[in-house]
Amino acid sequence: MMSAYLDFIRIRFIMMLAYRVNYYSGIIIYAINIGAYYFLWQAIYGDKEILAGFTLIQMTTYVAVSWMARAFYFNNLDREIANEIRDGSVSVQLIRPYSYLFVKMMQGFGEGLFRMLLFMIPGMIIVCLIFPVTLPTDPTTWLIYLVMLFFSFLINSQINILTGLFAFFVENNEGMMRMKRVMVDLFSGVVVPIAFFPGWLSAIMQWLPFQAITYLPSSVFTGRTPSSEVLHVFGIQVLWFIGLLIPIWLIWRAARRRLFVQGG
Amino acid sequence: MRYASLFWEYIKNYAKTRLTYRADFWVEVLSDLLFQGMNLIFILIVFQHTSALGGWSEAEVVFVYGFFMIPYGVFSTFFSIWNFSERYIVKGEMDRVLTRPAHSLYQVLLENVDPPSLIGSFVGAIIMALSWGQLDLTFQVMDVLVLLLLILGAVLIYAGLYTALSAISFYSDAPTGIVPLMYNIQNYGRYPVNIYNKIIRFVLTWLLPFAFVGVIPASYFLEKKADDLSQLALLTPVMGIVVFSLGLWFWNHGVKRYRGAGS
Amino acid sequence: MLAIDVKDLRKQFNVQKNREGLSGALKDLFKREYNEVTAVKDISFQIPQGEICGYIGENGAGKSTTIKMLTGILVPTSGELKVNGYVPFKDREKFVNGIGVVFGQRSQLWWDIGVIESFQLLRKVYRVSEADFRKRLNELVERLQLGDLLNRPVRKLSLGQRMRCELVASLLHNPSILFLDEPTIGLDIVVKTEIRDFLMQMNREQGTTILLTTHDLQDIEALCSRVIMLDDGRIIYDGGLDDLKNRWSKGREIQFQFAGQTQLAKLRQLTESLDVTWTMENEVTAQMWLPHTVNVSDALSCVVGGVQIRDIKIIETNTDDIVRSIYSSGSASVAKETV
Repeated sequence: MMSAYLDFIRIRFIMMLAYRVNYYSGIIIYAINIGAYYFLWQAIYGDKEILAGFTLIQMTTYVAVSWMARAFYFNNLDREIANEIRDGSVSVQLIRPYSYLFVKMMQGFGEGLFRMLLFMIPGMIIVCLIFPVTLPTDPTTWLIYLVMLFFSFLINSQINILTGLFAFFVENNEGMMRMKRVMVDLFSGVVVPIAFFPGWLSAIMQWLPFQAITYLPSSVFTGRTPSSEVLHVFGIQVLWFIGLLIPIWLIWRAARRRLFVQGG
Repeated sequence: MRYASLFWEYIKNYAKTRLTYRADFWVEVLSDLLFQGMNLIFILIVFQHTSALGGWSEAEVVFVYGFFMIPYGVFSTFFSIWNFSERYIVKGEMDRVLTRPAHSLYQVLLENVDPPSLIGSFVGAIIMALSWGQLDLTFQVMDVLVLLLLILGAVLIYAGLYTALSAISFYSDAPTGIVPLMYNIQNYGRYPVNIYNKIIRFVLTWLLPFAFVGVIPASYFLEKKADDLSQLALLTPVMGIVVFSLGLWFWNHGVKRYRGAGS
Repeated sequence: MLAIDVKDLRKQFNVQKNREGLSGALKDLFKREYNEVTAVKDISFQIPQGEICGYIGENGAGKSTTIKMLTGILVPTSGELKVNGYVPFKDREKFVNGIGVVFGQRSQLWWDIGVIESFQLLRKVYRVSEADFRKRLNELVERLQLGDLLNRPVRKLSLGQRMRCELVASLLHNPSILFLDEPTIGLDIVVKTEIRDFLMQMNREQGTTILLTTHDLQDIEALCSRVIMLDDGRIIYDGGLDDLKNRWSKGREIQFQFAGQTQLAKLRQLTESLDVTWTMENEVTAQMWLPHTVNVSDALSCVVGGVQIRDIKIIETNTDDIVRSIYSSGSASVAKETV
């Protein structure tokens, strides 16, 4: 059974390779994104040395690493699920002998793996050449970061799945998906590190899962999180991962009941 | 004239469809506004840590944002074709469109009109009006006319760009993923472009002219800066016509390459 | 005047080659290879006004591609093409005013609103005057018995109801040519018959030219005076349906049930003078296969004199069998020899 799931990763990986335009446009767009934010932050810093505890170099590294991480964890599972619900193909998926949501997760992972290998790694090399970025030298930091990055992917995918499943209950969840995308980008800290948020907002963020997607891993990677707290930060990610399983399970159960009652 | 009456007919149908799903309507309006709000939050957060961005004050940047929301709302209402590739190319609905006697782009646009997005334009106008007062800008009747002209130009630029992006699907049937990624790039035209380096500035001004939907036209009303963007402001309508013509040409050319879904 | 005039029409597609496996996909990312596929290979035919013509062929034979070129959806690679006096893809917007198109697998109606709203919109799109529209709609509604369906949203209609509405939608502007791409797919026999009758009547009364693709040969038998058969992008037959049967059916079969045990040798001997073949099923049943050159009455009279017959059944090869055998013989060359 597990090998079937692994095959979903492989197939999605190969599928991504087939979307050539997608690949090239992605590279250009990420390059522009990182570049634009680099200059934006440069302008924000002006002649100040430190803002919210970040030096400009730390900030640049943070921006580059966060966007690269986004390339890995970003996927359109919400849209895929919503479309499959709307055109009714989800009921076909349900008669297959596998867990639909787990398969979706695997497909998302295949996509992420593709972007990591063919996108993130070459992209990171280019970014290091162009912009003043300092990477950690300690191999354990790299290792911890990779594990945390994997959890970023899990949590982001969970949020996507939740958003997508809402298509069962509302006819059109386009607006919701759009809103989710902006919220993830802003509140996860890709666009602005959470340390920059005004006190009340960052206090709210402490209680939302978004920071676990970008802010926490990127802070560890850029060395902003002291090593004594790394375990604690990682614990938050794990907690969110487990915590998000519950609403998914509840919604999925309600959705299936609805599907059985109403038909596809 | 006929296109106008067609427009009205499509809007009526849209309204009828929409009335069937009333709850969704408000969800969408709300999420649209929150979407805009998020971007505003970014600006507000940034200005908590600095007083100026490349020589622009907070009120000015907010003003630019308010201006931007107006053409963006109009554009989103009439060019809500995010799923063009999927619905019309992959699922082949383009076949049906092409068997009807009206321009294909016009039909596709009308089938997807999204009037709730217009609310964003109103909010933008309010934001702009508030910043206008805050910045103590003078106000003349001419300004209204220029404003309308600039908005029209900005809408055309947006329309042209997204028509061209959608038309890519005619050439490559695989999903291109460009449209969602564009979401980010379009934001950069709302910040003073002088903060970017030459390459990005050039891209945002002349290649993907998002600067022409935000900071450039808005600068017309603001105090002149050292690096005077407002000189370009009146070029906005010209850019609009050029970009939209190119987009339309690309579309028309693409339709000829359309190959239909499956057999 | 010709409704459709096609000369040397060709359509080629570039289909990207997907190399196998991971390494293949990686190579594709950087350098892609294409295969040129010719879906329609230099076909020519002419359809006069007022004809109902069936366009048949296996899946992938190029039927839909042809229809899409004829309706202005696809641009041909080469060849000449005139429909209703227009080159479809050139004057598309003017041209489509004179044609109606129904894709059996795809709806042209708005999903969520009443059928009548879709019709109203199409009225505007096709610039039909309110008076003409009313008159036409009433006629169509009466003939297809749609009365109480008009206010229902499309998603609440059954497939048969929907298909009748699709027909109305494609006919509101009174087109002189109607293209039907598998109009009866998935419908039950009652609706199929209804639709066939309707099309027949319309063709008779208004002289509407109809070109339809179908996999259901009963459609063809009921409607078409003429059949164009396509195989692998080429026309392998163009002519009357009866001709097709006569030329391609190899003959008839007569099944005998005898009163008592009968020997094969005896039967052969009885029909010595005729070019027929016998097969025995068991001691009391046998089949006689006779080509078209042999009269049934001659053959029967030979047998009747010699043995006691309890029952006779004459089996004419049906169109399905004929077409199946043409498909499976497959190559155009075999077919051409026969024609």
